[in-house]
Amino acid sequence: MPPSQLKQLKASLRDGGLLGPQQSKKQKQQNAKSGVAAQNRIQRNTALQAIRDRFNPFEIKTTSRPKFDVTTRDVPKKNAAQARPGVTKSFGEEKRRQTLLQEMNRRNKVGGILDRRFGEDDPTMTPEERAAERFARQSQKKLRKESMFNLEEDDEEFQLTHKGETLSFGEGVNLDDFQEGDLGAEEDDDDSDFPRKRKRMLEDADSDLADITFDDGDEGGEQPERKKSKSEVMKEVIAKSKFYKLERQKAKEDDDDLREELDKGLPDLFDMLRGVKPPPKPEPPKDDLATMNPERVALLQGKTPDDAEREYDQRLKQLTFDKRSAPTDRTKTAEEKAEEEAQRLKTLEEERLRRMRGEESSESEAGAESEEDAEDEDGVESDDDESVFDDAKAFGLQQPIETTARPELGVEDEDDFIIDDDLVETRSDVSLSFDEEEHTDTGEGSEEEEDEDEQEDELINGLSIPGLTTGNATAAANSAAEASEGLAFTYPCPGSHEEFLDIIEDVPMQDLPTVVQRIRALHHPRLHSDNKTKLGRFAGILVQHVAYMAEQPDHPSFAIIENILRHIHSMAKSHPENVCQAYRAHLREIATSRPLNLHPGDLVILTGIATTFPTSDHFHAIATPAHLCVARYLGQGSVNTLTDFATGAYAASLCLQYQAISKRYMPEFINYSLNVLCHLNPKEYTDTSALGFFPSRSPSTSLRLRLSSKLMSSRKLQFWDMTDETEDEEQLKLSILTTIVNLLSTASDLWSGKSAYTEIFSPVEKVLTHVLQALETTTTSKIKGKPSKNPLPSSLLDNLNLTITKITAQLTQARNARRPLLLHNHRPLAIKTAIPKFEESFNPDKHYDPDRERAEANRLKAEYKRERKGAMRELRKDANFIAREKLREKKERDAEYERKYKRLVAEVQNEEGREANAYERVKRMRQGKR
Amino acid sequence: MPAPIAAATASKKRKNVKEGGVPSSKRRAVAETEAPDATADIQRLEDQISESRKHYNNIATLISMLNTDGSAKKPNVPAALSLCRVFSRLIAGGNLTESSRAAENEKIIVAWLKERLKEYQRSLLSIIRESDPSSQITALTLCLCIINERATHLPGEEGIWVTGLFKNVVESVVEANNGQAVLSEFIEKAKEFEDVRYYTFMQISEYANTRRSPETIDTLISILSACDSIPKPDHEFESFYTKTSKDNKRVVSVNSHKKRAQDAWLAILSNNLTQTQRKHLLRIMVHNIEPWFNRPELLMDFLTDSYNVGGATSLLALSGLFYLIQEKNLDYPQFYAKLYSLLDADLLHSKHRSRFFRLLNTFLASTHLPAALIASFLKLLARLALNAPPAAIVAIAPFTYNLLKEHPTCAFMLHRPLSDDARAAILHARGMDDPYDPAEPDPLRSRAIESSLWELDTLQSHYHPNVAAIVRILAEQFTKQFYNLEDFLDYTYQGMLQAELGTEDKPFKRVPVVEYQIPRRIFTDRLVEEDGGQDTAPGSLLRELWDFA
Repeated sequence: MPPSQLKQLKASLRDGGLLGPQQSKKQKQQNAKSGVAAQNRIQRNTALQAIRDRFNPFEIKTTSRPKFDVTTRDVPKKNAAQARPGVTKSFGEEKRRQTLLQEMNRRNKVGGILDRRFGEDDPTMTPEERAAERFARQSQKKLRKESMFNLEEDDEEFQLTHKGETLSFGEGVNLDDFQEGDLGAEEDDDDSDFPRKRKRMLEDADSDLADITFDDGDEGGEQPERKKSKSEVMKEVIAKSKFYKLERQKAKEDDDDLREELDKGLPDLFDMLRGVKPPPKPEPPKDDLATMNPERVALLQGKTPDDAEREYDQRLKQLTFDKRSAPTDRTKTAEEKAEEEAQRLKTLEEERLRRMRGEESSESEAGAESEEDAEDEDGVESDDDESVFDDAKAFGLQQPIETTARPELGVEDEDDFIIDDDLVETRSDVSLSFDEEEHTDTGEGSEEEEDEDEQEDELINGLSIPGLTTGNATAAANSAAEASEGLAFTYPCPGSHEEFLDIIEDVPMQDLPTVVQRIRALHHPRLHSDNKTKLGRFAGILVQHVAYMAEQPDHPSFAIIENILRHIHSMAKSHPENVCQAYRAHLREIATSRPLNLHPGDLVILTGIATTFPTSDHFHAIATPAHLCVARYLGQGSVNTLTDFATGAYAASLCLQYQAISKRYMPEFINYSLNVLCHLNPKEYTDTSALGFFPSRSPSTSLRLRLSSKLMSSRKLQFWDMTDETEDEEQLKLSILTTIVNLLSTASDLWSGKSAYTEIFSPVEKVLTHVLQALETTTTSKIKGKPSKNPLPSSLLDNLNLTITKITAQLTQARNARRPLLLHNHRPLAIKTAIPKFEESFNPDKHYDPDRERAEANRLKAEYKRERKGAMRELRKDANFIAREKLREKKERDAEYERKYKRLVAEVQNEEGREANAYERVKRMRQGKR
Repeated sequence: MPAPIAAATASKKRKNVKEGGVPSSKRRAVAETEAPDATADIQRLEDQISESRKHYNNIATLISMLNTDGSAKKPNVPAALSLCRVFSRLIAGGNLTESSRAAENEKIIVAWLKERLKEYQRSLLSIIRESDPSSQITALTLCLCIINERATHLPGEEGIWVTGLFKNVVESVVEANNGQAVLSEFIEKAKEFEDVRYYTFMQISEYANTRRSPETIDTLISILSACDSIPKPDHEFESFYTKTSKDNKRVVSVNSHKKRAQDAWLAILSNNLTQTQRKHLLRIMVHNIEPWFNRPELLMDFLTDSYNVGGATSLLALSGLFYLIQEKNLDYPQFYAKLYSLLDADLLHSKHRSRFFRLLNTFLASTHLPAALIASFLKLLARLALNAPPAAIVAIAPFTYNLLKEHPTCAFMLHRPLSDDARAAILHARGMDDPYDPAEPDPLRSRAIESSLWELDTLQSHYHPNVAAIVRILAEQFTKQFYNLEDFLDYTYQGMLQAELGTEDKPFKRVPVVEYQIPRRIFTDRLVEEDGGQDTAPGSLLRELWDFA
C-alpha cells in the first residue's frame, strides 16, 4: 500500500530540496548580494511545477497512443504527443475574456471617448517621458505658427518695458541674457574671433546708436536678446564653418601664390648661381589682347585659372567617353564578293528548300506560328463548345461557309457538263499591228546587275541612265527615247485602276513601262513618307492592269506585260502585302466568277505568280490557291472546243512550271492530258476504261484529228490560240498534241522518283502507244499507194516515239526500284506498364501524386478541412464561453437580487418586529393596567 | 314539251351566240362594254331556272354560252359558274334522282337534266385541257364541286370517284396544255384532302398501267412525290373533300391508302422511264417511295435493274438496295463484287461521291469481312485516288486509315518487312511488279493484300498542302482510334479555294515570301545570249512550249 498523499508530497518536497534547514539571516543576506537567491528561486519554481505536475495526472494528456506500427501513419512529433489541456484551455479562456468578453460587454452600447492624448496607451513610456514628449510637441506646434499676421503669437513676446528696458523681476531668461551680454561686452575688447557675437553686435548697431548714452556705464542698457531658435543656431553654425573654410582657403592660396613666385624665381636663382644670363623671355601673349575683340578679351581675362582647368577637365572627360574610332571595312576583292554572293544564294536556296518541306525556320517565325497554333487551338476549343470536334479541321480543312449561293456549276456530275455558249470568243478581227521592235523596252539597257538594289534601280532609273551598254540595247534606248518624246515627265500616283487607265489613256502601249518607271521614280519612298502607301496601292493597280491588258482585244506585246510583271515583282519586294492582296483578289475573282473558264488575263496572272512567288513552298498564301485554280480548271473546265484544249494545254504547262522544283504530284494534270490525247486521237479507242483510271470527258463535237493526204505541219503553240479561232484547225490540233506529248515527257522526268510512277505512267504509256498506232495506221491506210509521203510531220512521230521509249525505260526502272512499302518503321508503341512504381526513401508524409494539379487540389482540400474544423471548434468554444459568461452574469444578478430581497425582507421584518414589540409592549402595558 | 322549249332556247341561243360571239372575236374594248350585259343575262337565266321548271331550257342556253365557238380555248367563266350553281342546286334538291314512282314525263326531265349535266362536265373537262390557266383552275374547282355534290346527294354515286368524273378530271389535269398552274392547284387539293389523294392514287395507278410519254410520267411523278405525307399506322383520316367519304371504310383505312399509293408508284416504276427520271426516282426512293410500300420487296426488281445499269444510277440504287437488304433480308448474291465493280474511273469525280462513301463506310463496317476483300477495296480506291480531285483524296485517306485500323491484317499494305533473305535478294536485283490485278472482278482474288499502297505514298507529295498532310497520317503511327469520316466528305474545289482565299482581303498573319530573284524573262526570250543562248532560267518550260507573240 502506497503511503498517503500527504506523506508522498512531503517526501517529494524533500527530494526536490525545497524543504531543508532554514537559512540563517546572514546567509540570506550573502545570497541576496551574490544573486544566488534569484537563482535559487527559479530552481525552486521549476521543482515545484514538476511536483505539481506529478501529483496532478490530469494536467498532461497524451494525445495519441500508438496502436500498430504502420509506415503510412502520420507520426506525431515527440512533444506533440503530450498536451496540456488545462493550460491551453485557460489560455483560450483568458484570450476570450480579453476579446470576446469585452465585445460582449460593449454590445448595444453606443458612444464613448477616444483618448487621443499622445502616448496614452503606450505601455513602453514612463509618465515622465510622456509628459516631456507632450511638452515638446506643444512647443513645436507653437513654433510652427509663424504666420506674419499672427498677432496672438506675439503676445507671449510682449513684455512690459520701461524706456526700451524690460521690466525684469530678477528671474527668468532675461537675467541670463543680461549676464551673457555683459560677458560679451567685457570680452569685446579682446577682439577674439567670436563671429556670432560680432554679428549680433552688428545687428544691434542702430540700437547701439540709439542707446549710446547707456552704452558705457550701464550693463543693463543693452537690449536683451531673445533666445535664438534652433534653426537660427544651426544657420549660425553653418555660416561660421563656411567662414572658417573660406579663411583657410584664402590662407592657403596666399601661401601657394607666394610659393609660385618663389618657384618662378628659382631658375633665375640657379642661373645666378651658375652665372649664366638667361635668354630673353618671349613676348607674353597678353600683348595681342589689345588687338583682339574686346569682348573676347574680357572673356579671356575674366576666366580664372580655375575655370580654365575645369574646362580642361571637362574636355578630357568628353574625350574619354568618345567612341573609339574603328577601322573601316576593307574593300572586298572580287573573289570575296563572289563568294559572299554564292553564300547568300545558298542560304536563300536552303530557305526555299525548307519552305518546300513545310518546316518552320527562325525562332521568330516559329514563335508566330506557335501563337497562331495557340490561337487556332483556342478557336477549336471555342468551337468545341458549340459543336462536335471536326477531325478534318486538324488538317486545316474547313467546310466552306455556305453564306452565298454557290454558283451552279453543275459539272461535277460525270455525264452532264455545262456547255458555255460564250466560251468561244470570236475575235477574228484582231489586228496584230504591233511592231516587233517594240519588244525591247527602255529599262533594258542597264540591267545586268544581280544585286537587288541595283536591279530595282534598273527598273526605276533605267530612263535616266540609258546609254551604258552597247549593241541593240542602245538602239532600244534610242527608240525608247524617241518613243518617250511625247510623254510627260511627271505622273500622279493613281489611287485606283480607273485613275490609272485615265492616266495612260493617251500613252501608247509601248511607252507604258516608261510611265510606270516614272511613277515609281517620282514616288520613291525616300521622297515622301506617304509615297510608300501610294506605291503599294500602285503595285496592286499594276496587278489589275496586267490582267486588264491581256484581256484587251488588240493583243498587247508580251514584252510590255513581261516588263510590268517584272515591275510588280520588284515592288512586291518592298510592298509584299499590297501585291499579294492584289493577286489574291484576282484569284478570288477567278474562283467565284469564272473557275471553269479562264481568261487570258487570268492565265497571265497565274504565269506571273509562277515567277513572282516560290511555287515550290509547302504552303504559300498565293501559290496554293493558284495551284487549286489551275487544277480546278484542268479537272472540271470545259473541253468543247479547240481553244479550250489550248487553254488547258497552257494550264497544264503552268502546272508543270509550278512543280518544276518541288516535283509534287498533280492528278489533274495527268487526267487532263490523257483526256485530251484520247479526244484528239484520230481513231477512237473502243474501251477507254481499259486505258487507265482517268475520267473521260468528251467534247460536245468531235475534235479528232482528221488526217488527210496533204502534208500537215505542227507549230509551236501560241498564247493567243487560247482565244482566237484559227483557220487551220488541224494544224492547231497537231500542235496541241505535240505540246501535250512534250508535257507528258517532262512530267515523266519530274515524277520519275515517285513510288507510284508505274501506276501513274502506265496509262500514259498505253495512251501514247495507242495514239502512235492510230496515227501510223491511219496514215498508212490512207496512203497505201505511195508510202514515201507521210502527211504527218516526222518531228511529231519522232517525238512520240522518243517519249514512249523514255516512259517505257522509266517504267522498267521504276519496276526495278519497287520495294514493298515500309512506312511504319516507327518505334513500336510501348505497352502500358503495370509494375508499381517504387519510391526510394519513401516518406509517408509526402504526397507522391504524379498529377501535380490533383496533388495541389488535395492539399488545398486538406487545408480547407483542417481550417474548417479549427474554425468550428473555436466557434463552439466561443459559444460555450458566451453561455458561461451569461450564466455567470445571471447568477450574479440573481444573487444581487436575492441579497437585496433578503435585505428588504430583513428590514421589513426588523421594522415589523419593532412594531410588534411596541405593540406587545402596549398590550402588556394595557394588560398591566388592568 | 321539250321541243318548244328547245325551240325557244334555240331562238335565244342564236341571240346569245350573237351576243356572246362578239366579245370573243371583237376587240376587248367592245367586250368590256358588253360584259355587264352578258353577266346580267346569265344571272337572269340562272334566276329563272331556280324559279320554275319552265325555264330548264335555260340550262341548255347556258351550256351553249359556255363554249362559244366550239373550242374550249376561251370559255365563258360566269356561265360556267352559274351552271355549277344551277346543277348544285338541282342535285341538292333531288331533281336529278329518278324515283321509280315518278311520272313518265318526270323521268324524261331527269334524263334530260342528266344529259345536260354530262354535257356540262364534258365542256368543263375540255376547258381543263385546253383553256388558259385561270380558267383551268376554275374549271377544276367546279368539277370537284360537282363531284362533291353528286357524291353527297346522289346515292350510289361513289363511282364518280372511281370511274366517273374524277377519273376524267385526273386524266385531263395530267394531259392539260401548259397545265402547270392547274397541276399545282390539283396537287394542293390532293395534299389537303385525304379522299382526293386516295382516289388520285387509284386513278394514277390505273392511268400509268399503259405506256405513257416521258412528259406525262414526269407530271405523274411530280403529283405522287408531292403527296409525301405518309400516314402513320395509327393515323386518323380527318380532312375529306366530301363528307360521305368518312363512311367509306376503304378510304379511311391506312392500309388501303398505302396500297393505293404502292400501286400507283409501282405502275410508274414499271412504265418506260427515261434515265433522268430513273435517277430522280432513285434519289427520292428512300424518303418518298419506300415508306408507302407495305411490301417493299416489290421494289426489288426495279432496284436490281437500276443497280445493274451501272454508273451513277447504280450508285443511287445502292441506298435503296441497302435498305432492302437491311430491313427485308433481301439476299443479293455477289453484293460486294458488284460494289467493287462500282469503283470505276468516274466514281470519284461524280457528285454522288460523298453519298457513295457514306454507304461504303456502312457496307465495309463489319469486322467479319475477309481481309482480302477490304484490301481490294483499299487498293482500288488508292488507284483511283491517283486520278482523283483533292476533295476525294481527302476522304480516301481517313477511310483507309479507319479500315486499316479495323483490319490489322491489311496493315501489311503499308508496312511489309522482308524476313526472307532470298526473296530480298531477288527483289533487290529485279524489283517487283504490283501483284494486284485491277482487272479481276472478284475482290477476293485480286491479290491486293499482297500489294502495297504505293499510290497513297506518292500522294503524300500532293500539290495541296492540306491533302498531303491528311495522306501523311497513313505514314505516321496509328495512335488515333478512328477518324470521323463525315468530317472529310463534302469538300469541293470551291470550298477549298474559299477556305484558302476567304471572302475579302484580310491582313496577312505572315507576309508571303516573294521570290528573291527577279527573272530576266517571263514570256519573251530577251537576253538569252547572256545565258549562253540556253534558256534555263525559271519558266523555261513555258517559253519552250509556247510562243508568246
